Amino acid sequence: MRVQRVSGELGDPAASGWSSVEGESVALTPVPLDAQPTEYIRVKWAGLPYGNVKEAKVAAASDGSRLYVRLEWADSAEKNAEFADAAAVYFPAGADAPAGTMGSADASANLWYWQANLADAKSFVASGPGVFRQRGSNGVGASSSNENGGWAVVLSGDLADAKSGGKLGVAVWDGSNEERAGIGAATASWVTLEIE
Amino acid sequence: MTQVMQPETGPQGQVAMVIDLNKCMGCQTCSVACKVLWTREEGEEHQWWMTVNTQPGKGAPKDWETMGGGLRDGKPVAGHQPTRAEFGGGWDFNYQEVFYGGKGNKTHLRPIDPGDGTTQWGMNWDEDQGGGEWPNAYYFYLPRLCNHCTRPVCAEACPTGAMYKRREDGIVLRNEDECQGFRFCAEACPYKKIYFNYEKNISQHCIMCFPRLEEGVAPACARQCPGRLMFVGELDDKTGPIHKLVNEWGVALPLHPEYGTGSNIFYVPPLAPYKLNDDMSINYETPRIPPEYLESLFGPKVHQALATIQSELDRVREGGSSEILETLIVYKWLDLFGPFTADPAQLDRKPESVAVRFTQKSG
Repeated sequence: MRVQRVSGELGDPAASGWSSVEGESVALTPVPLDAQPTEYIRVKWAGLPYGNVKEAKVAAASDGSRLYVRLEWADSAEKNAEFADAAAVYFPAGADAPAGTMGSADASANLWYWQANLADAKSFVASGPGVFRQRGSNGVGASSSNENGGWAVVLSGDLADAKSGGKLGVAVWDGSNEERAGIGAATASWVTLEIE
Repeated sequence: MTQVMQPETGPQGQVAMVIDLNKCMGCQTCSVACKVLWTREEGEEHQWWMTVNTQPGKGAPKDWETMGGGLRDGKPVAGHQPTRAEFGGGWDFNYQEVFYGGKGNKTHLRPIDPGDGTTQWGMNWDEDQGGGEWPNAYYFYLPRLCNHCTRPVCAEACPTGAMYKRREDGIVLRNEDECQGFRFCAEACPYKKIYFNYEKNISQHCIMCFPRLEEGVAPACARQCPGRLMFVGELDDKTGPIHKLVNEWGVALPLHPEYGTGSNIFYVPPLAPYKLNDDMSINYETPRIPPEYLESLFGPKVHQALATIQSELDRVREGGSSEILETLIVYKWLDLFGPFTADPAQLDRKPESVAVRFTQKSG
């Protein structure tokens, strides 16, 4: 995926800068049950459908120092009072980090996380599905809109996170299905970035 | 696999409680003591880490005993995440309308319904309803808090490793900075004593007043209880009342032992008066609280526990003495608290040593 360098505004999904950026459709698959980090989660979700969001339109651009990733996907019309929709983009922190499980105990990923009901985006070190630890405040931001039955979300952060591995993963959680942590949909393999 | 974090070395301990249900009068002083101390911040309005429910009843959250979780044959059982509506409570009232709206004579004080079901249940919604029919109606009170289980399935379920069981005293705690509000803990807990803070996006639960314990003070629920019925101490202290009541005399039992998590809160089950026959004569064969109901709560050992207490009572009535009853009577209030007898009012306060993080309510 090409990461264009754009001079216009990119901070929110409707920002003018996105008009010249081409996105591409990225397939998402359920994060494997046997990779879930705790026995409770594996027992609970055995036989239950999850990873409801099958694809997302992904576009990426930068202003030279900051990377902006715009995600767009069709959202279930159902709502759940307890759990909110969420999305993340993530980057391998080391060479061997697996994409489909959001990193592993041995090879973590840097993960930028947005959740519909939270004011601020979060920055995590991901060491597996939902094995998220706060990475501290390193300027990750998010902006979102929900129109026409779908979400559009821009996650942004330090371009260096993307440059180190040159690859990107995407995850989406359907809150109406109580998806959260490792129970969600993610890119099974990395999306290679061509950063301008 | 996420492991329960705890230091590898140092003394291992387990703080436990025994709650004597024969003395609980359902006054909710324990609930309020906890509420006032721990859950007054934003997002904690509906949280009652200590609750007293009337049994039989649906309890709090509503129908919690049907929500799953816990262990069967050592394996986790899928559970239900209690909803905001099932917990209920945390209500706002129409104070403005009643006190300042000029309608004080026409309108009543009532909770404002936010439309999410939370005004249809609460922490003591079915208080004093109980079971049975006149003249054999019955009920008793069941104070409940986190059981600080020997095998904390909540911590085992957590993908982020935010929860852990402290080696030195067995208290199950949560690093609120690492909790991401995923709530597998609340599903996995068979006792449904984990609450969600919708403002802070974290789960929260009873911390056994560990900052008090660390300064030798008993938990607020136990210390404020006017009924002298909540023992606190080290489970394995062979000289203490808890070890004797639980392990030696077998008169204090865990709630729902079949949940398999090894609760460290134990209950002295309630003795009941006898049933009345239709002609109001006493039926000496049948206790008013059905023994099978008590067995459903405390397991099959409840029958022996009740038989032991009854035989001790009989002996004392015949002029004998009973160490069990002397213990349960609690002649001296401080005998309840094991090593935690310090008076919080007399402490040299060290606020910097209190590790619990709470933020001030905004606005």
